[in-house]
Amino acid sequence: MQTGQGRSELAQVFPPAADTFLRFAVVGIALLLLGLALGGWEFAESTYVTQEGWVEAQPVPFSHRHHVSDDGMDCRYCHTSVEEGPHAGLPPTHTCMTCHSQIWTGADPLAPVRQSQQTGEPIRWRRVAQLPDYVYFDHSIHIDRGVGCVECHGRVDQMPLTWRAKPFQMEFCLDCHRDPEARLRPPQLVTRMEPLGWSEAQARAFGRRVMAEHAIDPGLLDNCGICHR
Amino acid sequence: MSDGEQPGDRAPPATGRQFWRSLDELIDEPAFQARLARRFPAIARHAGDWRRRDILKCLGGAVALAGLDGCERAPDEEALPFVEAPEGHVPGIARSYATAFEYEGIAQPLIGKTREGRPIKLEGNPQHPASRGATDAITQAALLGLYDPDRSAAPRRLGAPADWALFDTELAALRERLDSTQGSGFRLLTGSTRSPTLLRQIGALLERWPRARWHAWSPVADGAGSGLPARQTRRLHLGEAHATVAFDADPLGPGPLQTWHATGWGQRRRAYQAGDGAAQLLVAEPTPTLTGIIAGERLIARADRMEPLLRALARALGVSGGGSAPRLSPAEQAFVAQAAKALDEQRGHGLVLVAEHHAPELQALARQIDAALGNLGRTSELAAQRGGPTAASLAELARDMAARQVETLFVLEANPLYAAPPALQFNRLFARVKQRIHAGLHVDETGAASHWHLPLAHALESWSDGEAADGSILLAQPLVRPWMNVRSRHELLSGLLGDPTPDRALVRATWALDGPQWAAALVQGWVDAPPPAQSAASASPEERPVLRTSSASATGLSLLVRPDPSIWDGSFASNPWLQETPKPLTKITWGNAVHISPALAEERGLANGDLVRLEAGGHSVTGPVWIVPGQERDTVLVHLGHGRSAGSRVAEGVGFSATPLLGLSPDADVRLTRMEGRDEVVTTQAHFRMEPDEFVRFVETAADPLPPEEPRPSFYPPQESKPAWGMAIDLDLCIGCNACVVACVAENNVPMVGKKQVAKGREMHWLRVDRYHSGSPDDPEHAFQPVPCMHCENAPCEMGCPVNAAVHSPDGLNLQVYNRCIGTRTCSAYCPYKVRRFNWFDYTGGDPPELKAQRNPDVTVRQRGVMEKCTYCIQRISDARIAAKKEDRPIADGEVVTACQAACPTQAIVFGDVSEADTQVSRKKATGRDYDLLAEANTRPRTTYQARIRKGERPA
Amino acid sequence: MTARDAEDRVTREVVRIPQHFPARRAWWACFAVALLLLGLFFVSVAVLFGYGPGIWGNNIPVGWGFPIANYVWWVGIGHAGTLISAMLLLMGQQWRNSLNRFAEAMTLFAVICAGLYPILHLGRPWRFYWMAPYFNTMNVWPQFRSPLTWDFFAVLTYLIVSALFWFIGIMPDLASARDRAEKRRWRIFFGLGAMGWRGSAKHWHRWQQSYRLTAAIAVPLVVSVHSEIALLFAAGPIPGWASTVFPPYFVIGAAFSGFAMVSMLAVWLRAMLGLKDLVTPKHLDMLGRLMLAAGLMTLYGYLADAFTAAYEGKRELETLMDRLSGPYAWSYWSAVLLNFVPLQLMWWRGMRQHPLVLFLVGLSVAIGMWLERYMLLVTGLYRDWLESSVGYFHPTFWDWSLFAGTLGVFFTAFLLFIRFLPVISAFEIKEELEKGHNG
Repeated sequence: MQTGQGRSELAQVFPPAADTFLRFAVVGIALLLLGLALGGWEFAESTYVTQEGWVEAQPVPFSHRHHVSDDGMDCRYCHTSVEEGPHAGLPPTHTCMTCHSQIWTGADPLAPVRQSQQTGEPIRWRRVAQLPDYVYFDHSIHIDRGVGCVECHGRVDQMPLTWRAKPFQMEFCLDCHRDPEARLRPPQLVTRMEPLGWSEAQARAFGRRVMAEHAIDPGLLDNCGICHR
Repeated sequence: MSDGEQPGDRAPPATGRQFWRSLDELIDEPAFQARLARRFPAIARHAGDWRRRDILKCLGGAVALAGLDGCERAPDEEALPFVEAPEGHVPGIARSYATAFEYEGIAQPLIGKTREGRPIKLEGNPQHPASRGATDAITQAALLGLYDPDRSAAPRRLGAPADWALFDTELAALRERLDSTQGSGFRLLTGSTRSPTLLRQIGALLERWPRARWHAWSPVADGAGSGLPARQTRRLHLGEAHATVAFDADPLGPGPLQTWHATGWGQRRRAYQAGDGAAQLLVAEPTPTLTGIIAGERLIARADRMEPLLRALARALGVSGGGSAPRLSPAEQAFVAQAAKALDEQRGHGLVLVAEHHAPELQALARQIDAALGNLGRTSELAAQRGGPTAASLAELARDMAARQVETLFVLEANPLYAAPPALQFNRLFARVKQRIHAGLHVDETGAASHWHLPLAHALESWSDGEAADGSILLAQPLVRPWMNVRSRHELLSGLLGDPTPDRALVRATWALDGPQWAAALVQGWVDAPPPAQSAASASPEERPVLRTSSASATGLSLLVRPDPSIWDGSFASNPWLQETPKPLTKITWGNAVHISPALAEERGLANGDLVRLEAGGHSVTGPVWIVPGQERDTVLVHLGHGRSAGSRVAEGVGFSATPLLGLSPDADVRLTRMEGRDEVVTTQAHFRMEPDEFVRFVETAADPLPPEEPRPSFYPPQESKPAWGMAIDLDLCIGCNACVVACVAENNVPMVGKKQVAKGREMHWLRVDRYHSGSPDDPEHAFQPVPCMHCENAPCEMGCPVNAAVHSPDGLNLQVYNRCIGTRTCSAYCPYKVRRFNWFDYTGGDPPELKAQRNPDVTVRQRGVMEKCTYCIQRISDARIAAKKEDRPIADGEVVTACQAACPTQAIVFGDVSEADTQVSRKKATGRDYDLLAEANTRPRTTYQARIRKGERPA
Repeated sequence: MTARDAEDRVTREVVRIPQHFPARRAWWACFAVALLLLGLFFVSVAVLFGYGPGIWGNNIPVGWGFPIANYVWWVGIGHAGTLISAMLLLMGQQWRNSLNRFAEAMTLFAVICAGLYPILHLGRPWRFYWMAPYFNTMNVWPQFRSPLTWDFFAVLTYLIVSALFWFIGIMPDLASARDRAEKRRWRIFFGLGAMGWRGSAKHWHRWQQSYRLTAAIAVPLVVSVHSEIALLFAAGPIPGWASTVFPPYFVIGAAFSGFAMVSMLAVWLRAMLGLKDLVTPKHLDMLGRLMLAAGLMTLYGYLADAFTAAYEGKRELETLMDRLSGPYAWSYWSAVLLNFVPLQLMWWRGMRQHPLVLFLVGLSVAIGMWLERYMLLVTGLYRDWLESSVGYFHPTFWDWSLFAGTLGVFFTAFLLFIRFLPVISAFEIKEELEKGHNG
């Protein structure tokens, strides 16, 4: 049985090509969905979301490159509490002024610093490296175990203005927590920015030694309670 | 409490932040709020219910759902470093200071924990004998009092905001007048305080103005039968007492002495468990108290039976002064016989107690018995008063006011207009005083009726000193500089005397200490002052008491008025942590009730919640009934502190005020009449009967173990790890005092939800103290059982969670990952212990900045729609783990102390590594009394209980 | 009359409906009510998202309450369609043909309603997609031991398959509707749905294959979905829940409530659209029998559950006793009453074929089954292990409003369906007529 008389009328509404269109449409929709999925993933990974490499406008155009590379200052000169506490700490205005009361005393870019010194109003920096509030990260233990600053903060010594060097996403943390081996270095070298010049094998060999002597067990490092409370 | 419209600059920035912050910012804008208020008038309707206004934040949730929360690109955040870094300050590391908190004239030795300059937790001072690290519930909650958003922030003149300058000018005028008249017509009314510095200042004041007078008063010390010494005449050493016989006395009950007494009791009881001596407790009382409930022998007797009982005991022990043989019921005879036997066996280690509100003669007789048995000076001592001015009473003040001899009344830290006995007609007299000045934390009833109200600095933000329960002198140093325009009590008095001095200098001046000594004293928290002189140990012959025969008729109802276990005499009514703390015996929160016995309820046909009018001596109160099994048949009990009409949004309109019943003669006849209607009494527990189950298990003596459990097979592999965290809760030591509950709230940012929510069964306490009774309701066996998360090894919740938010950690913790939780509530449905709590609304987001500033920055503040529960204080574990890791050593036993464990005065809660055999917790679990709650559920809980021991005699 | 006449009549009757709708007034009345309820649904959801799940009566211990009970009920309703259609198709039961189309539609819409609930009941609904396994920057996956995870999969699969099955089934009729349509816009409307169906032998061949294949997939799904939902309860260590009887018990119960719903709809449509010749007393009779059979099996489920409880003893028995005599006994007994007492009328053919009776019995069963879900859930939770954690459940206005709202969702969709699409599968009936006359 067929809906015979249909065909003639059908022509008026849908040309025979309609079927082809339909097929293309079906395929097209499928592709669209696939595209959306991939696009979503790309977006989640994009530097727009991770803020990787995005420069924050700061009240003072502070250049890590100048202070670290040119002046050869150690990170800990300003970020004093990085070895004792969870937070690395930003330097108080006083620290800036120890030098800048002698040099660049009149420089315009430093006006906010001097102002802060006079008024007692803190400088309002924009945070660059920043984690969600439900993540409890402790700098001191990472430093203590020999995780270099550069691992998370990148080549700060090459940043005229500071930007986020790594995507601070959970997978980024987990990569290291699940396989810390290649990312450990001698404690005295943690603040060193230049590559150690180790081969992967050397790095891993050293890492294994550290993990052995400090009883670092990756199996324990990736449980939720390590970072989330 | 939370319009979110308080000026944000008053407090340091909050650290516990919400997850989509950009929305929060939007929502915090007043403009936006106004728009919402217009669009959602419903919000306004919730104004009455504390914290329900946080709906604003919930709307944030709606917007988020609309997809506006995007892909969570972290919003920009500012960082504000110091200009001059304070010395030794490490961001993120807590600093602790020894301090003290005084209430009811007794100071509690404390260690205040601060983060970035904000006090976030109070712990007992572990070095001090009056604390040993423990605290009571009220002291724990004092922290929130500091941050109370309703605290008075500026002076008020005739109800209108004024400034200190104006007050100081008025004060100068007053001073001139007083100097000319030698202070006639000036009266100072304070609460009960024993701060040496304050007494010194008052002394100076009276010296300068001889005709001025000082009145000290507190509703509790003044007559309300609290079992609490008005002037602590007798200091107890329960640690020494192998046999204690208490007549209507509640040494372990709530109040400023609880920590001191409970610490001692815990010491003794643990020794007894270890086979050293006895720890007997025999209590005769009209209504169940914390002391009575853990007593081996509990005799239910009317308050007026205490006298014959005591006399009989005296006779039985051959102590003269017993008088003629009183008539006793068989039960009473048996009790007296047992008491006599126990005391006789324990000569030198016995203790006889009579509640302080009983006749002085009874006290004397009790002391006499102790003296005769050689107990005096060992289990208790007579504490003589330190020197200083003597205070007149409130009654005298009222008399002089009536005689119009009072022109200026300076009320310091007291609220007579709320709490004064009606007989004094204080309100009427107060209005007649020409110049009325009130200084307090809130604009309370008295403050509202005064010409001047002066905002007082909270104890934790001012310098002071005080006398601890053991008589030693504590120094109280501020944990934070006041962020409001307030003055401390010492500053106020020095200002009154015309030489405004910072309170630090005033306290320092009281104690002649050189620099190093002073520094040392501040570090340890107390001054090594000469101990108070000991008066003669024995009752001297001439003061042999002549007992008056009880006038109270043995028929009719007998009325007890006692301070509220949570909010005391009402001075803590503005503290939601205390308001929402379930009262130990009834589990009532946010209110009070007329407590009656089951028999009486049956006779009058009364059910829980029925309204009744309680009349006595021509005064009456109306409130809902609550039936208390184990209460004496004709005894009626009401609690003070409720029915406040001013002071703070939290305090107002909760419960009914019992003050009209204060200060009545003991033989006033009491009438209980049923009223129309009911009033909702909100409790956190609906059923109390334990049969047929055995949630709380008992053994007869310390020696006998529980029957062995047959091993339960499981398909899950056994969990072995190092460390393996576990907890032991000794029900034989638990006195149900709630200290752990409030400590947990303070440590873990547990939100308070208000009366309506609690009524719906939505209280958020991570740690609850269950209460059961079994046997006849007239004289049942009572039991307490603290229930935190069991951290089951085979946890059903973990199996239920679809998104891996409830997971097990390698060291045996049952984790709840808030930021992963989507709120299916399966974990709670599957939890046999029902210890999980759900954020039904946004309970935290709309808090004013003060409350946000109080929160513990190491604990996530939970969002609306996520499940939460006890974490074994994982933040403390993490700190210990990191510290140990840095030194490449295992975490030592006792290095991790949970908040509940730290607060517990009897050390009933022990936490530690169960994988090691020689840790405290493992030793506890090794005792034969150890058992799993709901073992039949086979969840292998890491929190286990030790059965309660019925008797306390020395093992034969 | 000849087969040709009969066929034409059938086609006319069926295809006529969308274009010359017989009962416009009645339809508009029903549709207005449905829209009202739909509005209520949106209001309730807005309030829910605005304030949070606290607007409901849920608490600790009863953390689940209405949403889950209604969810289970809706999924149950959604069972009959596929059962009738797919299973009977595979078994070659011709009489199904007058019922399957709208039964399938009912399934589809019921499952949609059901699917809404688990999401709405979440504390953070905007995170529901975390239940799905997808690549993410957190390296976190769903927890595959959890019955909820599998619920998510099961319901989703069931939704997709029922939708496919329904659409494949309706396609040929859309074509004939398209061909009979006078107005151009109708032709386009139906034409798009027909996807260029010309009814060639090849088409019919393909169609047969895919239709039967989908049916073969759908039937086991019916069983799996509700077994899954049963696990939601049975997997927990809760007295009165942790029972192996639950999966079959739930599946049968679901079919029971589903058949009840179909019967009601059948009677209703028959009256409203005047399909007396198509939905004949024979069909009502079969529906009645199905209900009776499913009902008796459910009754057996009750007994089996009670028996296992008594056999287990201890807490299981306590819970049973609590159900029979506790504060929620009313829900238990009214469930028994409504489910099984009126059902007994279905023993008599006369009663089965009497539309009104059939309708009323269906109604009482639908309500009874809802009460059963409520009873199972609440009595399990409000008092489980510790006496101290007993807590009572009282539904609030918003509990009810959301439930009513989902009814709105269902009927709005269903009314649109009967208004604009062929409610009865004409060609299949014709097929039968064909067989009848040629064989």
